[in-house]
Amino acid sequence: MFRSDQIMATVEMVQKENLDVRTVTMGINLLDCRRGNVEETCKCVEEKIASYAGNFVEKCNLVAMKYGIPVVNKRISVTPAAFVGAGFTSDEFVMLAKSLDKAAQQAGVDILGGYAAHVEKGITASDLAFIKSIPEALAVTERLCASINVGSSHKGINMDAVAMVGRTVKDLAAQTADSGGFGAAKFVVFCNQPGDNPFMAGAIHGVEEADVVLNVGVSGPGVIAKSLKRIIGKKGRENLKLDDIAEEIKQITFRVTRCGELIGRQVSKELGVEFGVVDLSLAPTPKIGDSVGEILQILGVDDVGAPGSTAIVALLNDAVKKGGIFASKAVGGLSGAFIPVMEDAVLAEAVGKGALTIEKLEAMTCVCSVGLDMVPIPGDVDAATISAIIADEMAIGMVNNKTTAVRLIPVPGKGVGDIVSFGGLFGESPIMEVRNANKSGRFISWGGRIPAPIHSFKN
Amino acid sequence: MGKQLVISVMSKDRPGIIADIATVIYDLGGDLADLNQSVLGGYFTMLLIAEFEKNITPADLFSGFSNIESETKIEANIKEMEVKLEVEKKLLPRETFIVTVQGDNRKGLVKAMGDFFYGNNINVLDLATTREDDKYTMIFQVDLTSVPSMEAFRDNLNSLADQEKLNLVIQHNDIFMATNEVGTQLEILKSD
Repeated sequence: MFRSDQIMATVEMVQKENLDVRTVTMGINLLDCRRGNVEETCKCVEEKIASYAGNFVEKCNLVAMKYGIPVVNKRISVTPAAFVGAGFTSDEFVMLAKSLDKAAQQAGVDILGGYAAHVEKGITASDLAFIKSIPEALAVTERLCASINVGSSHKGINMDAVAMVGRTVKDLAAQTADSGGFGAAKFVVFCNQPGDNPFMAGAIHGVEEADVVLNVGVSGPGVIAKSLKRIIGKKGRENLKLDDIAEEIKQITFRVTRCGELIGRQVSKELGVEFGVVDLSLAPTPKIGDSVGEILQILGVDDVGAPGSTAIVALLNDAVKKGGIFASKAVGGLSGAFIPVMEDAVLAEAVGKGALTIEKLEAMTCVCSVGLDMVPIPGDVDAATISAIIADEMAIGMVNNKTTAVRLIPVPGKGVGDIVSFGGLFGESPIMEVRNANKSGRFISWGGRIPAPIHSFKN
Repeated sequence: MGKQLVISVMSKDRPGIIADIATVIYDLGGDLADLNQSVLGGYFTMLLIAEFEKNITPADLFSGFSNIESETKIEANIKEMEVKLEVEKKLLPRETFIVTVQGDNRKGLVKAMGDFFYGNNINVLDLATTREDDKYTMIFQVDLTSVPSMEAFRDNLNSLADQEKLNLVIQHNDIFMATNEVGTQLEILKSD
């Protein structure tokens, strides 16, 4: 029998602190679906996804019901589509996109990731056709998410690709202007993109993975925020130091991770699918009380973006990893704290107050995952400036051997301070200022590559 | 062939009470197979199984216990077992759940829950209760192997919670193991 206080602490975590499993994502290899033409390939893709994910949602719900822990999102990730459709024309890639969207709908999942390509070193003719297809592919589908890996610590940054994706972001926003440029919210540019990340929009099923695996994303920042409030209320702020706070975060993350792994492994057992990794990332949602920004405020900055914000994120990110890595048999994916502006109500509020700028966000991404995420910018920011912002963020990932990503939304027809809202999990925020726009064109027009950094002499 | 006795002892708690009881059993050549002890409201209670090589009778034990010095007389019940009891650690049933119940303290709370479990043919494996201020907390460990539908069972529990004005949470035992135990995790995490 357990100690009563341990039981009540766990019950409190589930009931009052909204402990959940943020996502269970099924990764499916589609490389063996390639056939002689696009129609047959699409048919095989749909059949394979249906065969593995047909009862995926049902099984997730069953396990969630049994254990009394909600599984909030059920998603699918697939092998990067540029590999699956190598040699396709742009129109044929769009057909593949529709097919993936249909398969996601039939499986009952809200998002499918993996409309992706890896071009960190060079771009093939097929990759070019694929990248060209992205704006239309995301405009005509509902559930599909796309990503491009343009850099890595080993290969450097492909600046031709960076220049290209700046334009892709603009085209995506233009093609979905009716919905505030929502298409751009489904497209992420990566450096060091992991193949086992369960979180969208950047989830893919890497070519290094087994045929089918289940990856799990742990509960959100709300549990950490509430547990910190509890301990501060109980012990008194004057009796706590930052290392006590770090220890509390570590311990709560241990519990949260254990829960995630337990549920994930039970789902994989039910489905007869290999279990992959637990991703320790704290992914906020626009819901009040589920914010990474709130944790920063609890830890002592009045507004996110104030001096000290980067140090707090560093503490939080490290404590989460320490607790989670000990708790789990297999950690992977992105595993850090996310700071997606639109998806985090407290971050969005800080933008509205002028406290949080893109430059400060960029600084914070040096010490956490995953990058400049869900950042709405004025619709008239030029493609070269967007590419240059992407290049800066990629450089942070490349030099620091970590994953970084950019998801910028140039909202058509809107300017700084205007509100853009996508609703649901994608949230809302005032549009952020892009300072020094139109000043990076000469840099982006070089093209070529930024060579991979040296991996010694690290001072 | 030795014999097995089940012994229950109750007394006012004090330092050395376990040593005194164990000494009586030891002096009679007894081997403790298993025991469970608890202190409630200043009263010590212990349930134990002892095996004896010699033909020890309950009267021998009563006599030994009567010599123990205590603020209150040692009260004991002793039962001689005809069939040897299994004392190996039994694994919990796979469908073991924890039901936590909290509500304003009043008469009949444990009875209400006991009736509910009995009515649903559910065996209570363990129960702990605490009263703090006016709040009463009950923690039931229950075997739900015979429950045909978890969904229906949860609905029934929710109705009971509404009816009795209780805060009632049910969670699988594995959740508590996963979040509180370091060493026992591997077994429940096995997906194969």
